[in-house]
Amino acid sequence: MNSAFEAVKTGQSIDGTPFSPTRESIRDFCEASLDYNPLHLDDNYMQGNFGKTHFGGIIMHGMNNFGVIAKMLTDWLYPQGGVQRRLETRWKIPVKPGDTITPRATVTATRKTEKSQWATLDVQVTNQRGEVVAVGEAMVEFPG
Amino acid sequence: MTEPTFETDFWKDAQARKIWDDIVPGQPRKTIPYTLTLEAIQKYCRVVGDLHPLYFDEEYARNSPYRGLIAPPAIHILLMFACTPADDWMRSPGTVNAGQSWSYNIPARPGDVIRLQARALDKFIKKDRLFAVHDNVFFNQRDEVICSGRGWTIRPV
Repeated sequence: MNSAFEAVKTGQSIDGTPFSPTRESIRDFCEASLDYNPLHLDDNYMQGNFGKTHFGGIIMHGMNNFGVIAKMLTDWLYPQGGVQRRLETRWKIPVKPGDTITPRATVTATRKTEKSQWATLDVQVTNQRGEVVAVGEAMVEFPG
Repeated sequence: MTEPTFETDFWKDAQARKIWDDIVPGQPRKTIPYTLTLEAIQKYCRVVGDLHPLYFDEEYARNSPYRGLIAPPAIHILLMFACTPADDWMRSPGTVNAGQSWSYNIPARPGDVIRLQARALDKFIKKDRLFAVHDNVFFNQRDEVICSGRGWTIRPV
Protein backbone atom coordinates (compact mmCIF):
# COMPACT_ATOMS: atom_id res chain seq x y z
CA MET A 1 0.00 0.00 0.00
CA ASN A 2 1.03 3.60 -0.62
CA SER A 3 2.67 4.81 2.60
CA ALA A 4 2.05 8.50 1.77
CA PHE A 5 -1.54 7.91 2.84
CA GLU A 6 -0.45 7.60 6.47
CA ALA A 7 0.63 11.25 6.43
CA VAL A 8 -2.75 12.50 5.15
CA LYS A 9 -4.66 13.91 8.11
CA THR A 10 -8.14 15.34 8.55
CA GLY A 11 -7.94 19.13 8.64
CA GLN A 12 -4.85 19.25 6.44
CA SER A 13 -5.00 22.04 3.84
CA ILE A 14 -3.77 22.06 0.27
CA ASP A 15 -3.21 25.41 -1.42
CA GLY A 16 -3.48 25.71 -5.17
CA THR A 17 -1.86 28.12 -7.59
CA PRO A 18 -3.67 31.45 -8.04
CA PHE A 19 -5.10 32.03 -11.50
CA SER A 20 -5.77 35.45 -13.04
CA PRO A 21 -8.01 35.26 -16.10
CA THR A 22 -7.74 37.92 -18.78
CA ARG A 23 -9.85 38.51 -21.87
CA GLU A 24 -7.09 36.76 -23.79
CA SER A 25 -6.94 33.74 -21.47
CA ILE A 26 -10.73 33.37 -21.70
CA ARG A 27 -10.50 33.49 -25.48
CA ASP A 28 -7.69 30.91 -25.34
CA PHE A 29 -9.90 28.72 -23.16
CA CYS A 30 -12.60 28.88 -25.84
CA GLU A 31 -10.08 27.53 -28.34
CA ALA A 32 -8.69 24.86 -26.02
CA SER A 33 -12.11 23.62 -24.85
CA LEU A 34 -14.06 24.27 -28.07
CA ASP A 35 -16.64 26.02 -25.86
CA TYR A 36 -17.40 29.23 -27.78
CA ASN A 37 -20.52 30.12 -25.81
CA PRO A 38 -21.02 33.91 -26.28
CA LEU A 39 -21.06 34.22 -22.47
CA HIS A 40 -17.29 34.09 -22.79
CA LEU A 41 -16.57 36.27 -25.80
CA ASP A 42 -19.41 38.63 -26.75
CA ASP A 43 -19.64 41.81 -24.63
CA ASN A 44 -22.75 43.05 -26.42
CA TYR A 45 -24.58 39.81 -25.75
CA MET A 46 -23.54 39.98 -22.10
CA GLN A 47 -25.24 43.35 -21.60
CA GLY A 48 -28.56 41.49 -21.68
CA ASN A 49 -30.32 39.74 -18.84
CA PHE A 50 -30.28 35.99 -18.37
CA GLY A 51 -33.49 35.29 -16.58
CA LYS A 52 -32.78 36.77 -13.15
CA THR A 53 -29.07 37.16 -13.76
CA HIS A 54 -27.21 40.14 -15.21
CA PHE A 55 -23.51 39.57 -15.79
CA GLY A 56 -22.62 42.96 -17.32
CA GLY A 57 -19.70 41.60 -19.36
CA ILE A 58 -18.00 38.40 -20.39
CA ILE A 59 -17.29 35.79 -17.74
CA MET A 60 -14.68 33.06 -17.40
CA HIS A 61 -15.77 29.51 -18.18
CA GLY A 62 -16.84 27.65 -15.05
CA MET A 63 -14.79 24.76 -16.39
CA ASN A 64 -11.66 26.93 -16.35
CA ASN A 65 -12.23 27.06 -12.61
CA PHE A 66 -12.69 23.28 -12.62
CA GLY A 67 -9.32 22.92 -14.37
CA VAL A 68 -7.62 25.16 -11.80
CA ILE A 69 -9.02 23.02 -8.97
CA ALA A 70 -8.01 19.78 -10.72
CA LYS A 71 -4.45 21.12 -11.14
CA MET A 72 -4.27 21.80 -7.40
CA LEU A 73 -5.28 18.20 -6.69
CA THR A 74 -2.91 16.57 -9.18
CA ASP A 75 0.00 18.81 -8.12
CA TRP A 76 -0.53 17.48 -4.59
CA LEU A 77 -1.20 13.89 -5.61
CA TYR A 78 1.32 13.02 -8.33
CA PRO A 79 4.47 13.27 -6.15
CA GLN A 80 2.80 10.98 -3.60
CA GLY A 81 1.53 8.40 -6.09
CA GLY A 82 -2.04 9.52 -5.44
CA VAL A 83 -4.85 9.62 -8.01
CA GLN A 84 -7.70 12.09 -8.45
CA ARG A 85 -10.85 9.97 -8.46
CA ARG A 86 -13.70 12.42 -8.15
CA LEU A 87 -14.40 16.15 -8.26
CA GLU A 88 -17.77 17.79 -7.76
CA THR A 89 -18.14 21.54 -8.04
CA ARG A 90 -20.81 24.20 -7.80
CA TRP A 91 -20.28 27.67 -9.17
CA LYS A 92 -21.42 30.39 -6.76
CA ILE A 93 -20.59 33.66 -8.51
CA PRO A 94 -19.03 34.40 -11.90
CA VAL A 95 -15.34 35.09 -12.42
CA LYS A 96 -14.43 38.01 -14.70
CA PRO A 97 -11.29 39.25 -16.45
CA GLY A 98 -9.08 40.99 -13.88
CA ASP A 99 -10.10 38.70 -11.03
CA THR A 100 -7.60 36.44 -9.30
CA ILE A 101 -8.96 33.13 -8.05
CA THR A 102 -7.22 30.81 -5.62
CA PRO A 103 -8.28 27.22 -4.91
CA ARG A 104 -7.86 25.55 -1.54
CA ALA A 105 -8.76 22.08 -0.32
CA THR A 106 -9.13 20.66 3.18
CA VAL A 107 -9.03 16.97 3.99
CA THR A 108 -12.35 16.05 5.64
CA ALA A 109 -11.89 12.30 6.07
CA THR A 110 -9.65 9.34 5.33
CA ARG A 111 -10.79 5.79 4.80
CA LYS A 112 -9.25 2.42 4.11
CA THR A 113 -11.30 -0.05 2.08
CA GLU A 114 -10.60 -3.71 1.36
CA LYS A 115 -8.46 -2.87 -1.64
CA SER A 116 -7.28 0.71 -1.28
CA GLN A 117 -6.94 3.96 0.66
CA TRP A 118 -8.99 7.10 0.16
CA ALA A 119 -9.33 10.69 1.29
CA THR A 120 -12.16 13.15 0.82
CA LEU A 121 -11.64 16.88 0.65
CA ASP A 122 -13.74 20.01 0.70
CA VAL A 123 -12.77 22.43 -2.05
CA GLN A 124 -13.24 26.18 -2.07
CA VAL A 125 -12.19 28.81 -4.59
CA THR A 126 -12.06 32.46 -3.54
CA ASN A 127 -11.44 35.63 -5.52
CA GLN A 128 -9.25 38.61 -4.59
CA ARG A 129 -12.09 40.08 -2.51
CA GLY A 130 -12.35 36.92 -0.44
CA GLU A 131 -15.67 36.00 -2.03
CA VAL A 132 -16.30 32.30 -2.52
CA VAL A 133 -16.72 31.72 -6.26
CA ALA A 134 -16.88 27.93 -6.18
CA VAL A 135 -17.28 25.12 -3.70
CA GLY A 136 -16.95 21.39 -4.11
CA GLU A 137 -15.83 18.03 -2.87
CA ALA A 138 -13.06 15.77 -4.09
CA MET A 139 -12.16 12.15 -3.52
CA VAL A 140 -8.62 10.90 -4.03
CA GLU A 141 -7.02 7.45 -3.87
CA PHE A 142 -3.63 6.34 -2.60
CA PRO A 143 -3.40 2.91 -4.25
CA GLY A 144 -0.76 0.31 -3.52
CA MET B 1 -1.80 15.25 -36.95
CA THR B 2 -4.07 18.06 -38.15
CA GLU B 3 -6.81 19.16 -35.81
CA PRO B 4 -10.28 18.71 -37.28
CA THR B 5 -12.34 21.85 -37.76
CA PHE B 6 -14.98 22.62 -35.15
CA GLU B 7 -17.88 25.03 -35.35
CA THR B 8 -17.05 28.11 -33.32
CA ASP B 9 -20.23 30.09 -34.04
CA PHE B 10 -22.65 28.89 -31.38
CA TRP B 11 -25.49 30.89 -33.00
CA LYS B 12 -25.28 28.69 -36.09
CA ASP B 13 -27.75 25.79 -35.74
CA ALA B 14 -29.26 27.55 -32.70
CA GLN B 15 -32.76 27.03 -34.07
CA ALA B 16 -32.13 23.32 -34.51
CA ARG B 17 -31.29 22.84 -30.84
CA LYS B 18 -33.67 21.57 -28.23
CA ILE B 19 -34.99 24.10 -25.76
CA TRP B 20 -35.70 23.16 -22.14
CA ASP B 21 -39.26 22.12 -23.00
CA ASP B 22 -37.99 19.61 -25.59
CA ILE B 23 -35.41 17.90 -23.38
CA VAL B 24 -36.53 14.40 -22.41
CA PRO B 25 -34.70 12.98 -19.36
CA GLY B 26 -33.30 9.58 -20.25
CA GLN B 27 -33.06 10.33 -23.94
CA PRO B 28 -29.63 9.63 -25.47
CA ARG B 29 -27.75 12.49 -27.14
CA LYS B 30 -25.95 12.10 -30.44
CA THR B 31 -22.17 12.14 -30.10
CA ILE B 32 -19.18 11.98 -32.43
CA PRO B 33 -15.88 10.15 -31.88
CA TYR B 34 -12.79 12.29 -31.43
CA THR B 35 -9.10 11.52 -31.74
CA LEU B 36 -7.29 13.23 -28.87
CA THR B 37 -3.95 14.68 -29.95
CA LEU B 38 -0.96 15.69 -27.85
CA GLU B 39 -1.35 19.16 -29.35
CA ALA B 40 -4.93 19.44 -28.04
CA ILE B 41 -3.93 18.14 -24.59
CA GLN B 42 -1.08 20.62 -24.30
CA LYS B 43 -3.21 23.52 -25.54
CA TYR B 44 -5.71 22.80 -22.76
CA CYS B 45 -2.92 22.43 -20.17
CA ARG B 46 -1.35 25.75 -21.10
CA VAL B 47 -4.55 27.76 -20.75
CA VAL B 48 -5.14 26.51 -17.20
CA GLY B 49 -1.47 26.97 -16.33
CA ASP B 50 -0.80 23.28 -15.82
CA LEU B 51 2.64 22.44 -17.21
CA HIS B 52 3.19 19.16 -15.36
CA PRO B 53 5.82 17.01 -17.11
CA LEU B 54 3.37 14.07 -17.31
CA TYR B 55 1.69 16.11 -20.05
CA PHE B 56 4.78 17.62 -21.70
CA ASP B 57 7.97 15.60 -21.07
CA GLU B 58 7.93 12.28 -22.88
CA GLU B 59 10.95 10.84 -21.08
CA TYR B 60 9.71 11.88 -17.65
CA ALA B 61 6.32 10.40 -18.42
CA ARG B 62 7.80 7.16 -19.76
CA ASN B 63 9.72 6.67 -16.52
CA SER B 64 6.68 7.45 -14.37
CA PRO B 65 4.06 4.94 -13.17
CA TYR B 66 1.96 6.08 -16.15
CA ARG B 67 4.65 4.83 -18.60
CA GLY B 68 3.94 7.54 -21.14
CA LEU B 69 2.37 10.92 -21.70
CA ILE B 70 -1.17 11.32 -20.41
CA ALA B 71 -3.86 13.97 -20.38
CA PRO B 72 -4.87 15.61 -17.09
CA PRO B 73 -8.10 14.33 -15.52
CA ALA B 74 -10.04 17.46 -16.47
CA ILE B 75 -9.44 16.90 -20.20
CA HIS B 76 -13.15 15.98 -20.32
CA ILE B 77 -13.66 19.74 -20.53
CA LEU B 78 -12.36 19.55 -24.11
CA LEU B 79 -13.78 16.09 -24.82
CA MET B 80 -17.30 17.26 -23.97
CA PHE B 81 -17.42 19.75 -26.80
CA ALA B 82 -15.18 17.74 -29.14
CA CYS B 83 -17.59 14.79 -29.00
CA THR B 84 -20.80 16.85 -29.19
CA PRO B 85 -22.34 17.79 -32.56
CA ALA B 86 -23.05 21.43 -33.40
CA ASP B 87 -26.84 21.10 -33.00
CA ASP B 88 -26.67 19.70 -29.45
CA TRP B 89 -28.39 21.73 -26.72
CA MET B 90 -25.15 21.84 -24.74
CA ARG B 91 -24.07 24.54 -27.20
CA SER B 92 -27.12 26.77 -26.91
CA PRO B 93 -25.85 30.35 -26.45
CA GLY B 94 -26.49 31.51 -22.91
CA THR B 95 -26.24 28.03 -21.36
CA VAL B 96 -24.89 28.68 -17.85
CA ASN B 97 -22.84 26.01 -16.11
CA ALA B 98 -24.15 25.62 -12.54
CA GLY B 99 -22.12 22.64 -11.39
CA GLN B 100 -20.30 19.48 -12.36
CA SER B 101 -19.55 16.09 -10.84
CA TRP B 102 -16.94 13.79 -12.38
CA SER B 103 -15.41 10.41 -11.53
CA TYR B 104 -12.09 9.32 -13.00
CA ASN B 105 -10.98 5.80 -13.92
CA ILE B 106 -7.93 5.83 -16.20
CA PRO B 107 -6.20 8.74 -17.90
CA ALA B 108 -6.82 9.64 -21.52
CA ARG B 109 -3.69 9.55 -23.65
CA PRO B 110 -2.48 11.19 -26.84
CA GLY B 111 -3.84 9.23 -29.80
CA ASP B 112 -6.84 7.84 -27.95
CA VAL B 113 -10.00 7.64 -30.01
CA ILE B 114 -12.58 8.93 -27.58
CA ARG B 115 -16.21 7.84 -27.61
CA LEU B 116 -18.89 9.59 -25.57
CA GLN B 117 -22.09 8.02 -24.30
CA ALA B 118 -24.39 10.85 -23.32
CA ARG B 119 -27.97 11.49 -22.35
CA ALA B 120 -30.20 14.01 -20.72
CA LEU B 121 -30.61 12.78 -17.16
CA ASP B 122 -33.00 15.20 -15.48
CA LYS B 123 -34.68 18.57 -15.78
CA PHE B 124 -36.27 20.72 -13.12
CA ILE B 125 -37.25 24.26 -12.14
CA LYS B 126 -35.53 25.82 -9.13
CA LYS B 127 -35.63 29.45 -7.97
CA ASP B 128 -37.45 30.30 -11.22
CA ARG B 129 -34.58 28.91 -13.30
CA LEU B 130 -34.81 26.10 -15.86
CA PHE B 131 -32.23 23.41 -15.13
CA ALA B 132 -31.16 20.43 -17.21
CA VAL B 133 -28.74 17.71 -16.14
CA HIS B 134 -26.59 15.87 -18.67
CA ASP B 135 -24.95 12.53 -17.99
CA ASN B 136 -21.77 11.47 -19.80
CA VAL B 137 -19.30 8.59 -20.01
CA PHE B 138 -16.09 8.82 -22.03
CA PHE B 139 -14.46 5.61 -23.34
CA ASN B 140 -11.19 5.00 -25.15
CA GLN B 141 -10.70 2.80 -28.23
CA ARG B 142 -10.46 -0.29 -25.99
CA ASP B 143 -13.87 0.50 -24.47
CA GLU B 144 -12.23 1.30 -21.14
CA VAL B 145 -13.96 4.01 -19.13
CA ILE B 146 -11.83 7.15 -18.88
CA CYS B 147 -14.24 9.19 -16.80
CA SER B 148 -17.92 9.73 -16.21
CA GLY B 149 -19.78 12.75 -15.03
CA ARG B 150 -22.79 14.98 -14.83
CA GLY B 151 -23.31 18.63 -15.50
CA TRP B 152 -26.04 20.91 -14.18
CA THR B 153 -26.85 23.73 -16.58
CA ILE B 154 -29.29 26.64 -16.44
CA ARG B 155 -31.04 26.82 -19.77
CA PRO B 156 -31.28 30.11 -21.68
CA VAL B 157 -34.73 31.70 -21.94
